[in-house]
Amino acid sequence: MQAKSTALKILDIVSVLLLAVALYLALLYAPEELQMGQVQRVFYFHVATAWTALLGFVAAGVTGIVYLVTKDPKWDIVEVSAVEISLVFFFITIVLGSIWARPIWNTWWTWDPRLTTAAVTELIYIAYFMLREGIEDPDRRARFGAVYTIIGSFSAPITFFAIRLFRTIHPVVIGSGDPSALGTFDMTSKMLVAFMFALFTFSIIFIDLFWNRIRMGYLASKVEQLKLNNMQ
Amino acid sequence: MATRTAHSSQSNAQHPAPAAASFLKATFAIVWKDLAAELRSRELFSSMLIFSLLVILIFNFALELDIKTRQSVTAGVLWVTFAFAGTLGLGRSMAVEKDRGCLDGLLLAPVDRTAIYFGKAISNLAFMLIVEAIVLPIYSFLYNVDLFNPGLLLVILLGSIGYTVVGTLLASMAIQARTRDVLLPILLFPVVIPVLIAAVKASGGYLTGDSIGNILPWLNLLIVYDLIFIAIAYMLFDFVVEE
Amino acid sequence: MFILDTPPDTSTYMIAGYSIFFILIILYLISLFIRTRNLNEDLSILESMKEQSQTATNRPAAAKPAASTGLAVKRKATRPKARKSNQVKKNVIKKK
Repeated sequence: MQAKSTALKILDIVSVLLLAVALYLALLYAPEELQMGQVQRVFYFHVATAWTALLGFVAAGVTGIVYLVTKDPKWDIVEVSAVEISLVFFFITIVLGSIWARPIWNTWWTWDPRLTTAAVTELIYIAYFMLREGIEDPDRRARFGAVYTIIGSFSAPITFFAIRLFRTIHPVVIGSGDPSALGTFDMTSKMLVAFMFALFTFSIIFIDLFWNRIRMGYLASKVEQLKLNNMQ
Repeated sequence: MATRTAHSSQSNAQHPAPAAASFLKATFAIVWKDLAAELRSRELFSSMLIFSLLVILIFNFALELDIKTRQSVTAGVLWVTFAFAGTLGLGRSMAVEKDRGCLDGLLLAPVDRTAIYFGKAISNLAFMLIVEAIVLPIYSFLYNVDLFNPGLLLVILLGSIGYTVVGTLLASMAIQARTRDVLLPILLFPVVIPVLIAAVKASGGYLTGDSIGNILPWLNLLIVYDLIFIAIAYMLFDFVVEE
Repeated sequence: MFILDTPPDTSTYMIAGYSIFFILIILYLISLFIRTRNLNEDLSILESMKEQSQTATNRPAAAKPAASTGLAVKRKATRPKARKSNQVKKNVIKKK
């Protein structure tokens, strides 16, 4: 593998530093929230990972289209990397959200639009990897991956609106756990700082992991090419 | 591969008008082939039907289908049954094409690829509708629920369309993978959830005599989903079957 | 909801949340690291195989003893893959 470019090495270090600062801001600088207590601090990382992951999934859909149009394998590598990092980030989002929900809503999970769509989206992208696993021809694997990301990126928003519709027609208030009532809060300026900084940090971390993953993707592609050549 | 596309674009350029006619002809030829083959062997159809009945039987034990719960749960039970049976049908239908080399033969024919897609989708839809047409009266008979509701039938039609449109495309991919049978439900179910949600809600609405105002949004969702995914499948099918 | 004089003590959840965050990120980084290392190993093995097969075509007599140590490792890396593609071929033949 080619030596890591200096820019990437710097980005690695910058990411870690930013994470440290974000941690400080979230855990110490931001004030404690009155109604929820300390668990609210989880929210800073929860929303940051959610946003970056969703943007990542959108980027994956776009690169899927670009791959089908250009047939250039590098877009396939970009697509896989985007999906993989977004999958990890979104899983973190779901877990952190669940941890936040437990003391606040008194339940680990609720089937409201956002959470259900989140679960469905995560499953779509896990299915994406299972699809890729099952195909040996690299060209076909890339094509099918692109097709599936495109299908997935249309289906997920429709799912969200479908469930939103569900909620509007049947306003079900599950005991004391109406999500729209509990869990919303206004942010003071210090909280806003922590929030925005976390958003920024996770975007940088995403790009750093993304770049590293793409490098690995190139390596994997090369190895696979050599293996196939050796088969012949 | 290059010569194939050149040939078909040449023939399209020389005979523009008949292209549409040949598209329809090809589509219906494929539908007819599938239906005729199925009439003779009845393998797809019988497995889907028996499977559906078994699923309903299992639900009988899994859920307390007493008279009160039946009303609220019928729509869900029906759609779960259709979703699982549909997976069977889709998988077998496409697998048969691949294994017997029919797919390769079809791809070699100077026909627009999407005609193949629409042909398969329509025949898959036909199988699903036939199975549903049999399951409904049986369910009705077993649980004393009146299912001969035109609204319900409309929902079943729209839902089945959405399901088979996406299912045919995904099945074409799944059969080309190593893990083919297991892969189709994994690929299909997350993507087809809007159809299931809307279909269950709309079916339930019709069965409980809900107002049309409440049901209409779900019907709209079904129609929107069907249209969007027919368009997407039309654009993407080529990429799924090219060599 | 009523506003408490002091906020509820949910710090255990906060600690759990951040710990799990770090665990997950570290697990992913470890996975990236291990996969990259495995790929690099595969790459060096495959490249040495390529060299040896090229020298083998040039000098068939001399190639064998030189390749003996590499071959044992080579076989391990390639055999499972070879089996897989053979199996695929066998399945295709059976179905036809």
